[in-house]
Amino acid sequence: MNSEKVIFAFFIVLALTLNFGFFLGGMDNASHHNIYELYAAIVVSLISTVLKVGDRSHLGAVFLATSIVADFQLIAAAIVWGMTEHIAGQTLGGDALSTVVSLSGGALLANIISVVLLVSETISVRR
Amino acid sequence: MSNLFYILFRRLRSPLIVLIMVYAVSILGFVLIPGVDDQGQPWKMSFFHAFYFVSFMATTIGFGEIPYAFTDAQRYWALITMYATVVAWLYGIGMLLGVFQDRVFRQQMQKSSFLRRVKSIREPFYIICGYGDTGSQLTHSLSQENILSVVIDPDEERINDLEADDFKMPPLSLCADGSQSEVLEMAGIKHPWCKGIVTLANEDSVNLTVAIVAQLLNPDLRLIARAETPEAEANILSFGANEVINPFETFSSRLALALRSPSLFCLYDWMTGVSGQKICEPPEAKQGMWIICGFGRFGRSLYEHLDDEGVPLRVIEPNRKVRDLPSGSVIGRPTEANTLTKSGIKDAVGIIAGTDVDANNLSILMTAEELNPDVFRVARQNEEKNTHLFQAADLDMLMQRGNVISNTIFAFIRTPMLGDFLRIVSRFNNDKANELVSRIVGVVDDEIPELWELTVNENETPALYKMIETQQVLVEDILYGEQLNKGDAKNECIAALPLFLRRGEGNVLLPEYNRIIRENDRFLMCGTYSARQHMMRLVKNINLLESVLLGEELPAGWLLRKFRQRNPPENKNG
Repeated sequence: MNSEKVIFAFFIVLALTLNFGFFLGGMDNASHHNIYELYAAIVVSLISTVLKVGDRSHLGAVFLATSIVADFQLIAAAIVWGMTEHIAGQTLGGDALSTVVSLSGGALLANIISVVLLVSETISVRR
Repeated sequence: MSNLFYILFRRLRSPLIVLIMVYAVSILGFVLIPGVDDQGQPWKMSFFHAFYFVSFMATTIGFGEIPYAFTDAQRYWALITMYATVVAWLYGIGMLLGVFQDRVFRQQMQKSSFLRRVKSIREPFYIICGYGDTGSQLTHSLSQENILSVVIDPDEERINDLEADDFKMPPLSLCADGSQSEVLEMAGIKHPWCKGIVTLANEDSVNLTVAIVAQLLNPDLRLIARAETPEAEANILSFGANEVINPFETFSSRLALALRSPSLFCLYDWMTGVSGQKICEPPEAKQGMWIICGFGRFGRSLYEHLDDEGVPLRVIEPNRKVRDLPSGSVIGRPTEANTLTKSGIKDAVGIIAGTDVDANNLSILMTAEELNPDVFRVARQNEEKNTHLFQAADLDMLMQRGNVISNTIFAFIRTPMLGDFLRIVSRFNNDKANELVSRIVGVVDDEIPELWELTVNENETPALYKMIETQQVLVEDILYGEQLNKGDAKNECIAALPLFLRRGEGNVLLPEYNRIIRENDRFLMCGTYSARQHMMRLVKNINLLESVLLGEELPAGWLLRKFRQRNPPENKNG
């Protein structure tokens, strides 16, 4: 039981699940998308990026790349949300909402790839 | 370079995570804890405002409680998070600074910066392995001549000394072991601009290793090595076209030369000495018995050379067990007066203190001087730091191990033809040598003579090269002696003498005045500093050259020259 591996896998999977949770739901219904979940997804994504840095193998490089992509997308979603609410002064709805949800969808894809890589690495090690 | 980033990020991992989590918790807290707006209505902070507040709180800027004054609950939370976030930042910054101070990190930085600088070299340079006394002197001499060097030494202190030293052209340096191939590759052994590698480690084995590695990596590169034993010397000479300097051999053969032909000795001494020194007076060494103190490598080499000259010798050696001690040697400590007396110091003509301890050498000679004030005293100086002592002792001849090697190597680097010239000159007898010396002194007069090479080709001497295409240029026009500036300019006298000419495979010593200069001729010149500057200007600047040779000023611009060529005026003389 390697605690470092547990923590590593924990954060990667948590990033994916939070991201998925946020993404799930209709693109036109703001109540389906909880801002706290987006917040948590961003935080966990950042932490998992930091965890992934420092691995010099090819796999490590791809891991890091997917994580950074997910970060970008989620932060972009947060920025769009923040701009709509504060600068434009409207509640989230319509165009802005669908933008936020699509961006989080993009991040979701990156996280899925990351988890797939993690799983395949685990399986190959087990063998 | 990427190495550096990886080291950096590895160390920064935990501070970054701490920072992210502390920020996350603080922001969340501010979002959840309810506040009141200025009308007293409940108001929730959005993530955006919370992030804004936490940012300027954590970076200790502290704009204030915006947009509305905080409730007490919010203030409680602010209190806690204030300390947490600031400490998290300090932890992160402290770790960052720690990484930059880390030895491993700094070494990596130095290595990558060294690598980058070597790659960007665009001028001829030499690699020097070993920065002891010899290495530092050689580097200084090269730097004075504006030749770049790349220095490698495994001792960190020496590299620090190098960085603290003053150089006209600062060398690149790396603290690493030169006998490893990857270090030599980093230093640029395969670089197209690398002109040679000089290995000057104290241990012969290290020099041998460097020579072997250099031979494998770049067989065409010129290698100059220092070796102190004949075995290492033969070994290094056996592969590749290497040059080996054995300081003991060099000095011993010089000393033998001084006895055989003092003018030749002066010539050698001057030509391979430090620039900026006049030709010395020939040493007055009489014929008679010489005493050699110490029968190590130096002593042996001295014995061999002086014996070849037929000089009667006596050796003093404290260690009875030394092998091959010649007959008649005295066993005892040469620092003591009775040992010296026993060896016949009173009748001796010269004494050489050649042990490897400077204090002993000085002591031997001081004792010797008391016993026989006229004796010719020669000492071996081992360490650079004792220079003042040896100067104060006012000896007749001094062998400075570092100097001998570095000066010889420097002379070979600066003027590659010197080796051939000296080989030819070494066969002169004393009278011929005298003649040569007096000619040189006649040309430079009282000034300090310099040595330089001149190759007649398009790159180095564009004006001269063009000139010889159109007309005959004789040696006496450019390279030597009286030179009259026709027209209204004054007489210019170039204080220079061409010593040696190499044309293809043929060598000519002291080329005659009426020899025609052809392209790809290589001249070894000797003369004053001002003569050198003038000559270099002359062979590069077509206008100057024309005005000197033809006695007229041709127009400088291209158009007018073409015009002139079409309607040439009568040519005065060549």
